[in-house]
Amino acid sequence: MTQQIKLSQLVEQIQETIQERFEGRVYLAATQITNVKKYPSNRRCYLTLEEHDHGEKKAELKAVFWSNSYNTIEDFEKATGQLFTSGLQIICKVKVRFHKVYGLNVDVLEIDIAHTLGSIELEKQKTLERLLTENPTTIQLFDGAYSTINNRLPLPLIVNSIALITAPNSDGQRDFQQEISKNKHGYQFTVREFLTTIQGDNAHKLILQQLQLIQQSGEHFNAVAIVRGGGSATDFKPFDEYGLAKYVAHFPIPIYTGIGHDRNQTIVDQMAREQKTPTKVAALFIDHNFEFENRLMKLKTNFFNAVAAQIDNAKNHLNHAKRLVKLASPQAILNRGFAIVTINNKIVTNPDVIKENMELQTMLRNQIIHSTVTKKEENENGIEL
Amino acid sequence: MKTELSYSEAFMQLEGLLEQLEDGDIQLDDLAEKVKQANELILICENKLRSISSEINKALAPNLPNDKS
Repeated sequence: MTQQIKLSQLVEQIQETIQERFEGRVYLAATQITNVKKYPSNRRCYLTLEEHDHGEKKAELKAVFWSNSYNTIEDFEKATGQLFTSGLQIICKVKVRFHKVYGLNVDVLEIDIAHTLGSIELEKQKTLERLLTENPTTIQLFDGAYSTINNRLPLPLIVNSIALITAPNSDGQRDFQQEISKNKHGYQFTVREFLTTIQGDNAHKLILQQLQLIQQSGEHFNAVAIVRGGGSATDFKPFDEYGLAKYVAHFPIPIYTGIGHDRNQTIVDQMAREQKTPTKVAALFIDHNFEFENRLMKLKTNFFNAVAAQIDNAKNHLNHAKRLVKLASPQAILNRGFAIVTINNKIVTNPDVIKENMELQTMLRNQIIHSTVTKKEENENGIEL
Repeated sequence: MKTELSYSEAFMQLEGLLEQLEDGDIQLDDLAEKVKQANELILICENKLRSISSEINKALAPNLPNDKS
């Protein structure tokens, strides 16, 4: 007959067996994480490690990040731009621990960040290749930059009507609106907000819905701004999702992104126009309008100058004509001490017509002298006046 | 002299007269007449120019450079 023992004794035996087998050993486990519960203030994280094969759960273990390894979660989020959240596939170092009351657990010591980075990058590359393959006429790659229907759209000369997709009460919303409303040039913008959650598993669908709402609104927007940021620099996964990226690439209004990501670009950034931060997106619209105003001012100045030059030119021509006419006036000629020689009332400009004994009249300022030519000779030296 | 001449027409006629005056070889009576005609044309041109200037200023007044209104 089986000997009866206390539960505590049984558990103790299990603990001893486990300790004997696993004490001091560290394992590198490839796993999916679920039920992630983070307590940043206590610097602890409780989660479940799972393995699935074709939808069937093959294994499950409770796991904990204690305060001495909690920083690995923060490092992971910072490096990958990815929230440490349920559903992720990771590789992590674990140590097996058995507690008499809490049972079997693993302590997570470290996450293989490089592996996750590699996976994310690989996934992004696959998505980018799919975008190119499935949309060959509308999405193209030139010199490392993606050319899409959307990012080829010209921005109107003046931007004054903007659709803003952002999270309600977020830093991104505040930064964008502040920059727009306090612009030093006093430009007036109409910003219509399309608010939604832009983080989390369904964020890509929610953002896409907002884009659809913009299209259906019937309002005429010059540009769309998708902004988030200020706070956490994590969870960019929605912006690498195929469906959203494709929709953005084909969207008929220019889209600008400011999603607070300065490590590298998301796919949505590459399909639209990336400005990094909400403030920078707003500043771009302001600068765009300022550039137009400058061009207009230059044109205006050039136009005024051209008109003024035309009038001046005409005045100069006229003044010149006036001087010429004044000089040509017979009275003016005589007043200057010159004489006009006439024969039979016709001015003599060619002295060859004057012959000796010919009668001629010399007209002075206030007298006419009638004379007969007695001698005529060449004036070889001319007169220096 | 037609008073309804445009500025360009008046100025073209004036230029023609100036050419003749510069050429010399002209009857004294004609010279005085040509100078008179030229002065009339100058008057027409000046009046036209003044009125064109004034019209332009009126048209551009709301948009003068540096006008903040």
